[in-house]
Amino acid sequence: MDIDDILASVDHGPGASPESTALDHQLLTRFWVAERAVSEVLPWPAPLMERMMDRVRIQVHPRPQSKTINNNLTRNQIETIEDLAASSGDTTVPHTHNPNLNLRLSILQTDLARTQYLIRSLLRARLAKITKYSMHYLVQLASRDNTQTQSTLSSQNPNQQPEDSVPEIASLTDLAPLSQPEASFLHAHQTLLAGHYGGSFMGSFPRQLRRLDDNAGGTSMVQGPELREVVFVRCLGAEVPVLLEEDEDVGVTMRMGDVWVVRWEGVKKAWGRGEVELL
Amino acid sequence: MQTYQTFLSHALQTNQRQYNAGLRLNWRLNCILFVMAFPLPRGVTASEIAFLAEMETVTVVPRQRLESLELLGGPVEPLAPPRRASLPLWLALLLKRQRRANIIPPPWLHPEPLSLILDVESQHQDYQNAFSPPPPLPGQPSVLDRDAIASAKPQYTPDGNRYYPAPPFLPHNTAQTTSSRDTPSLPFHWVEVGNLLLDSASDDLVDPDQIRRLLKDLREVRMSKMRSGVEVLDEAATGGGGVALTGVGSMELGEERGFITGVVDGLRRIGSSKEQARREQMAEQRAAGGYDATQDEEEDYMEF
Repeated sequence: MDIDDILASVDHGPGASPESTALDHQLLTRFWVAERAVSEVLPWPAPLMERMMDRVRIQVHPRPQSKTINNNLTRNQIETIEDLAASSGDTTVPHTHNPNLNLRLSILQTDLARTQYLIRSLLRARLAKITKYSMHYLVQLASRDNTQTQSTLSSQNPNQQPEDSVPEIASLTDLAPLSQPEASFLHAHQTLLAGHYGGSFMGSFPRQLRRLDDNAGGTSMVQGPELREVVFVRCLGAEVPVLLEEDEDVGVTMRMGDVWVVRWEGVKKAWGRGEVELL
Repeated sequence: MQTYQTFLSHALQTNQRQYNAGLRLNWRLNCILFVMAFPLPRGVTASEIAFLAEMETVTVVPRQRLESLELLGGPVEPLAPPRRASLPLWLALLLKRQRRANIIPPPWLHPEPLSLILDVESQHQDYQNAFSPPPPLPGQPSVLDRDAIASAKPQYTPDGNRYYPAPPFLPHNTAQTTSSRDTPSLPFHWVEVGNLLLDSASDDLVDPDQIRRLLKDLREVRMSKMRSGVEVLDEAATGGGGVALTGVGSMELGEERGFITGVVDGLRRIGSSKEQARREQMAEQRAAGGYDATQDEEEDYMEF
């Protein structure tokens, strides 16, 4: 990082200015494509999603002061659409006053629907991965909690139930890659699922076979996402090497503008730096 | 965040209901309901690719005035005929369908550039097994001067991360004045943009029938290249290796995604024991303190 980089990063301070709207839209689109392209849950981009949600936020009643203070900055899209719709239904104002009203309304609604589709698809893709690999992510989160002794204690519990193998994550603060609501969804989901399994068939198993995170015989029954799957990437930095495995050995080198089929684990770090784009 | 939480709590409630029903009925049915939570496969599907292609920017000549709009995808400039304006493709098509604007076709979507590209794809020696070069990214040197050094100029996100713009957010489809030195090239979303414009704005194109024929020929030539490259896919199955597909279109990628990932993952599973053995050998060598120079030979890169 040279001095230009530092200066440029200072120029774009935090806060949602109108100029950053287009950039955020591009970031969200890129993140959505990436989330759809890999089998693991990517780190939740909390600041970006908060800015996007603020812009889209569904409010039945527009806040009166936001309209008077600064019109375009704090007013969000749904308020704008509701105002437009209200004035088009207003019979006291002649329709000839603004012939473009319906057109503007339909453009704004299309735009809103497109963004909502992006967000909805992104969240659903993440939920699908979280439910598919629920035990993997719970174990991963719980392994960060040093005070966790419950799972070892409960193995001596004579009334072993499948629910007991669901780790408690309520006390955790670092929930990466999940967001707070996703983490609580994950825990509630897995507790329900374990209870369901216990009620329907696991209850009739011997006690020692009732755990959902069994790793008897050195083979863990918890399945995680496959990081060695290939992905399609476009190289955006000047030169990006593909890394081998976990170590720092370098494989092929991608050059700017190239599209490659490579292993996800080999480009994951470069993706984090924004130097490659998933396709 | 409020909607997101509502969404999650709704999903939870639905799941709860499914569990209860499953308890009464059959837990296998429950599993099916689960898989259906998000039935789409890994990687964007064809309709999602078309959705992305609609974010490309095109140039229009408006037929009526329209004040500027603050959209979620960024501000839109005011329309004032006969001044040209750059709009996202979905908005341009919306205006076109209501006869409120005419779309100026992108510079590559004309019979002459397309037949030139078709010649390069089918006749040129250098591109027997590769796609014709895509339009350069900002900062990337053109194919003509190979010696120039690429210098990517990142923008910065509000969170302070680097951001390099890429299609569909580059002006690869706008009717701007291109210097005569630039050779015509197919943009990333060429199939989708071409088809959308042929469907909805064929009266704005020059000789649409000829364009349709050329696009079909191009697709066939490039598809056969994609298929003939299967043998080198083994390269992508090894750690650190890869297969270059530079110049490929988004829709072409979407069509072949399932096949390529399936083949490569199959090859990876077949070679996993060999890879494990090699990794252990390398770890031993590293432990012995010697650097093995021969390991690089296997990673030479292949192109279609």
